[in-house]
This record gives sequence, C-alpha cells and structure tokens, in this order.
Amino acid sequence: MEIVRTEQVEKIYQDNGVPVHALKGITLSISRGEFTVIAGPSGSGKTTLLNLIGALDKPTSGKVFIEGEDIAQKSRNELGALRLHKIGFVFQAYNLIPVLSAMENIEFTMMLLGIEEKERRERALSIMEELGIAELANKRPNEMSGGQQQRVAVARAIVTNPAMVLADEPTANLDSATGSSLMDLMERLNLEKGTTFIFSSHDPLVMERGRRLIHLRDGKIIDDKMVSEAAKNTE
Amino acid sequence: MLWKIAWRNIWRNKRRSLIVLTSIIVGLVAIVLYDSLSVGMIYQMLENQIGSYVAHIQIHKNGFNDNRIIQNYVPSPHKVDSLLQKEKFVKAYSKRVLSFGILSSATNSSGVYLVGIRPEMESRVTKIHTYITEGTYLTGKSHEIVIGKNLADKLKVGIGDKVVAMASSLHGNIGAEVFRVVGIYQSFSSQFDKIYIYVNLHDAQNMLELEDNISEFALLLENSELSQNVKNRLSTQLGEEYEVLTFQELLPMLVLQIDVYKESIFIFYAIIAIAMIFGIVNTMLMSVFERIQEFGVLMAIGMKNSRVFFMVLLEALILGTVGTIVGFILGYLIYIPLSHTGIDFAMFSEGLKAFGVGTVIYPVLTLQSVVSALLVIPFISVIGAIYPAIKAIRLEPINAIRYV
Ligand SMILES: Nc1ncnc2c1ncn2[C@@H]1O[C@H](COP(=O)(O)OP(=O)(O)OP(=O)(O)O)[C@@H](O)[C@H]1O
Ligand SMILES: [Mg+2]
Repeated sequence: MEIVRTEQVEKIYQDNGVPVHALKGITLSISRGEFTVIAGPSGSGKTTLLNLIGALDKPTSGKVFIEGEDIAQKSRNELGALRLHKIGFVFQAYNLIPVLSAMENIEFTMMLLGIEEKERRERALSIMEELGIAELANKRPNEMSGGQQQRVAVARAIVTNPAMVLADEPTANLDSATGSSLMDLMERLNLEKGTTFIFSSHDPLVMERGRRLIHLRDGKIIDDKMVSEAAKNTE
Repeated sequence: MLWKIAWRNIWRNKRRSLIVLTSIIVGLVAIVLYDSLSVGMIYQMLENQIGSYVAHIQIHKNGFNDNRIIQNYVPSPHKVDSLLQKEKFVKAYSKRVLSFGILSSATNSSGVYLVGIRPEMESRVTKIHTYITEGTYLTGKSHEIVIGKNLADKLKVGIGDKVVAMASSLHGNIGAEVFRVVGIYQSFSSQFDKIYIYVNLHDAQNMLELEDNISEFALLLENSELSQNVKNRLSTQLGEEYEVLTFQELLPMLVLQIDVYKESIFIFYAIIAIAMIFGIVNTMLMSVFERIQEFGVLMAIGMKNSRVFFMVLLEALILGTVGTIVGFILGYLIYIPLSHTGIDFAMFSEGLKAFGVGTVIYPVLTLQSVVSALLVIPFISVIGAIYPAIKAIRLEPINAIRYV
C-alpha cells in the first residue's frame, strides 16, 4: 500500500535573492514496509526531498501526497498534526529535549497525542526494553553517548506506531560500529514490525542496508532500484 | 510534562535565572516594605487623629463643623445621651465644649482651641491623658489647665504657672478665666500641641456662659469600620437638627491622602514592573535563541504552535512566581519584627511630627497589598515572555533544525 507519492515535485529556494533549484521534477512512490535509502552527493537534494515527504515543507510546484492527502492544502498546524500522527523523525543531531530523561523524551510524543501518563509509561518502558536501552531510562541526553541518543530518538520515533519513520543522515555523527548497530536496530524493527523507514544518506553504511536505493543528483532521480538480498550478498 | 520542561529549563542556565530571580526578589522586598511602611504611616496618621481628638464619630448641632461658634451647641444633650446608652457598638463617648480663644501668659499669647472635658470620660475616648510629660492630667478641680509642650514653650510657662484664657461667650461677652497649668502634654504632632488646650467641662461652661450645654459628642466605637453603619442609624434617629460625622468626613485631607497614596502605589508598581519586564524579555529571548534547534525538533515532531507558545510563557510564569514567593517570604520576614517594634525615624522626627505621624512607624501589610504584590510580577513575567514566545513560534522547523 502506498504511503507517499510525489508528482513532478520542484523545490526552488531563494538564497539571498538567488534561486536555488534544489529539486527538479521528482516523481516517486513509497509503499508500506519499505526500507529505502535516498542517496546522492552533498547538495543533491536529499534533505529537501525528505523534508517534503515528511510534510516539513511544501513544494514550489508539483504535488506531495501522504496517505493520499495533498500537503499543499494544509495549514501549518494541520501539517504539524499530520506529522505527529503519521511520521516519526530521527534527525542527524539535537533530537532529544535536553532537560528530559530518555524515558520522558520517549513519552513526549505520546503526551502530544494526548495519551495519558500511565499508558505512556508502559509503552515507553516496553519500547526501551525492546530496543535494549532500558538502562538509559533515567539518563538525560548529555549523559548518553551519541549512539545511545540516536537509539532513544528511534524509540521516540516509533513508539506512536507512525506510518513511516524518516531519518536524515542518522549515522552522520556516529562511528561506524555504532552506526552499524543503529542500522541493525532499525532493520530489525522494519522486519519484525513492518515499520516503514526512509533514510537520506551518502554513508555507505546506510546505503548498503537499503532494500530500495534512490539516487539523486542535482535534484533529479538518476536511479531507483530494488536491491535484492542476492545482489547484496554478492557484493 | 510542560511544567516539568519549563521548570527544568529555568535551571538550565542557573546564573541567568538567578540574576533574574534576585532582581525579582529585591523588587518584591522593596514593594512589601515600601507599601507596608506607607500604609502604616497613613494608618498611624489616621489613628493619631482618631486617638488624640477626632474619635470615630462626632455629633454636633447641624452646621457646627462648618461654623465652630459657641452658639452652635447641641440642642438636647439628654436625648443624645439616652440614644448612645442604647447603641451597642459605642465603646465610650465624651462630651466636650469647644471654642476658639486666646491663651495668654505674662510674656506672650497664642490662638488656641479651648476644649472643656470631663477628664474621666475623655480618657476613655482619647489618649490625651497618656501624652502628659510634666505634671498631671486634669483631676476635676476648678481652674486646672493642661497645655501642649510647644505652647508652654511659646508662652514661657511651666507647671503651676497662671495663664488667662479668653473667648467670646454665648451671649457675646468676653469670657475670661485664670487657669493654673497642672499638666503639659506632648502628642504625635507639634501642630496639635500648639493649639489644643484642655480644661474641666464646668469651667469652660462657666466661662462661656453655656450653662449645661455642650458643643460635641465624640464617640469611640468597637472598631472603626462600624462608623458608617452607626452614623446612619444615629442620624436617622437624631434627625435634621443634628450632624453626625464619621472620622472620614471629619478628616477629609487624610482621606484624600489615602486616595492619593493608592494611586501613587500604582506608579511604584509600574516602575518596578518596567524595571522587571526588560529583564524578563531579555532572559526569555536568550533562552529561546539558545534553543532554536530544540524548538525546531519540537515543531517538527508535531508540537502545536499554541503549545510552544504556552511553554515559553510558562517558563516565565514559573520564574516570576518563584521569585515572587521567595521575595514575599523574605519581605514578610523582615516585615514581621518591624511591625512589632516599628521603625524609629528619630532622624526625621521634627518633620514627621509636623506631619502628624510620630517618630516610630509601624508598617502595616494589608490584604490588598499582599494580593497585588503577589500578582504583579508573575503577570509582568507572562507579558514579558509574549514577544520571545512569538519569536519561538515564528521559527520554521526546517530552518530551525539546520540553524547553527
Ligand atoms: N533553506 C535553504 N535555502 C537556500 N538553499 C537551500 C536551502 N536548503 C537547501 N538549499 C540548497 O539546496 C540544495 C539541496 O540541498 P539539500 O540540503 O537538500 O542537499 P543534501 O543532498 O541534503 O546535501 P547534504 O548531503 O550536504 O546534506 C543545495 O544546493 C543547498 O545549498
Ligand atoms: Mg542533507
């Protein structure tokens, strides 16, 4: 089932009056359960595309549908509500609220959804146990390593069972061992729970895990292919 | 959870928050002390006036207060007497003769208010008997007089010396009488001491050819708040021929002063508020700008603008409230002992005496002051946080997250 569809999406930024053509006609469709990497060199438009898919921004022209809803029609607050209900985010850094413990950070999105405290606690605890980060429950972000923070961010992103989780260069600040175990975690969630993940990255560590690889260059898709397990194994 | 976040954010930058808190605390202590001292001073002026002469209510023949001539004596003292016996809120009352006159010694003379009293009766209403600093209070014997210290100095007389009082009598004659100074008093006000002289009632009545008549009744009530109530009852019972006046009506200048004070304290609050608001705006702006990425993430994951806005206001509200509570407790702890011992302004004693206050001021904290002191800074804090909160919600999540 399709979760996101873009049609002839263009994005032009104004950089001090100079138009920057970040995306030049992107048409793609992403279905439930995908584990997709948007790859490409720096400046190719990965973050821009991910922002559009995540309803963080609107296209200059073309259309973006999230579960069939056209985001161009929506107000700022409606987009916020859409993100809250349907999308989990893992950013490159500064994911967590510094004054809250890991547990409270995970509870936070549920609080925004109006879930009552007792249930929040239970769900946060069970997700932390599932991700093997239960011992971090009472730690504040500044007491955790970068890898631990990203795990908590993943927990926060998936705890509300969103339609998809978007992760913009989630491993960029991590060493390769930590990055790779973070990818293990998300891969497992994808396989076990069917959570849809969409990454942007030029990190081979992430790219080699993708089951679908979308290559961008200069704001255009130059390649979009499913990577079979077999193909992976031969590499 | 938003409360938790707001509370913890305050302590994230301890030094900055402590600076704001300190300024709030100092401001609040200043408010509490200034307000309670000012109110205390006004109350004291009022109490001094009530306690030394005015009492809570005065009853005269209608017109006496505007035209204090001896001919305006109370039509029927007996009628008033019997009414007052029945009035349950009246603690005590005094009958007086009051006349303008001249008091002379061998060396000098001075314009005075001659007050004829029954010493025992008067002492239950006012405090003149406690003000005696030399000699004694009136005992009831003929030709005794008690005068103020300033007047005694001016006339150069002391205890046992003779003075002559003169005033026009009921029938238009010059009433004159020789008195012997038995006591010298000193009240809260040098002005008062210069003017009011006390003699026994029958001496005054003789001198002024008043027979058994008197000029006024002065009533002390169970408490001052009953004045209006008692006045209403008495004046309907006594009718047109009499005037029943409360201390508020008898002391219009003081009542005016209270009104002026009530307005001036608002100016004081406004000054404190303006001083505070810049500190709050600045602190909250810094706090928002330091957390741009954080706000970006919060908005990206779907926190509503209204909630983000509320969160910033909440932070300021907590800051203002904590400062207010600590400042109030501190101010109150300073206030408590002062309200018992009073503050001695002996340095400014002469000025205050002329003002009618007395040298020791007992601060008084009224409920109204407490309420406004507790509300003003939290309110100001919220107002001060509005602009920073607007800044926060104007952030675009994608730009905020990219912000370095
Ligand atoms: N807010 C913006 N204002 C102006 N130009 C922008 C803005 N955001 C992105 N761009 C420009 O748009 C183009 C695409 O940027 P984008 O961030 O999407 O690339 P990216 O593939 O994510 O690169 P990187 O790997 O460095 O993160 C770049 O040329 C970038 O400079
Ligand atoms: Mg990027």
